[in-house]
Amino acid sequence: MIYKVSFVVQGGTHPGGIQNLDERPKLGDILTLGNQQFEIVEVMEIIPPRGDFAYLHATCRPIDGKET
Amino acid sequence: MVTVESLKRVEILIGLTEEQLARVLQICQTRVYHNQDIIVREREPSDEIYVINRGSAEVILSGGRVTAEALAAPGPDAVISLGQGQTFGEMALIDMGPRSATVRCTSDGSELYVIRREDFIQLCEQDTDIGYKVMRNLAAELSFKLRHRNLSWRSD
Repeated sequence: MIYKVSFVVQGGTHPGGIQNLDERPKLGDILTLGNQQFEIVEVMEIIPPRGDFAYLHATCRPIDGKET
Repeated sequence: MVTVESLKRVEILIGLTEEQLARVLQICQTRVYHNQDIIVREREPSDEIYVINRGSAEVILSGGRVTAEALAAPGPDAVISLGQGQTFGEMALIDMGPRSATVRCTSDGSELYVIRREDFIQLCEQDTDIGYKVMRNLAAELSFKLRHRNLSWRSD
């Protein structure tokens, strides 16, 4: 299964993003968008799966001072 | 290198048979971009659709700034970051309009699949089963991006 995930960052500090992942994201996972790191604080299904794709939404919060 | 196996991971090609994917493969090119390369520029004519096979890019609404220097200047312009498997340029495939945003590569050695609009439309018209599936998938892709935008507003 391919997990297509809409990432939104709390507080409007980052535009967020869309990524395909091989594993389903879960609460507490650390995500890298560009050169910044974020912690996932919410995961939910947006729409039902289609083909080999699952469609999820994840809300993230910036991890202070973490840049890659 | 583009292969039928790699095309199976491309969302706008969901539901295509191996034979149909092989036909798409024939019109697909690969291009490599580097960090900060401008891939498409807002308001310019468009005749290609892109799929990120490896790497990442960001979509930028420039507010009228179109030079590399102006785009590099500080400003809250990036509207979304796109990673592996994501498609852009699909609006132009459907409405034939100019590019609605600038897309800039954000990681070195990013590999993109590129399909010329004319070739894609010709293929869809020759094989209407491909055409139906691709257009349905494109509608789903645009719908997903709209849902992402709606959820972004919720978080502000």
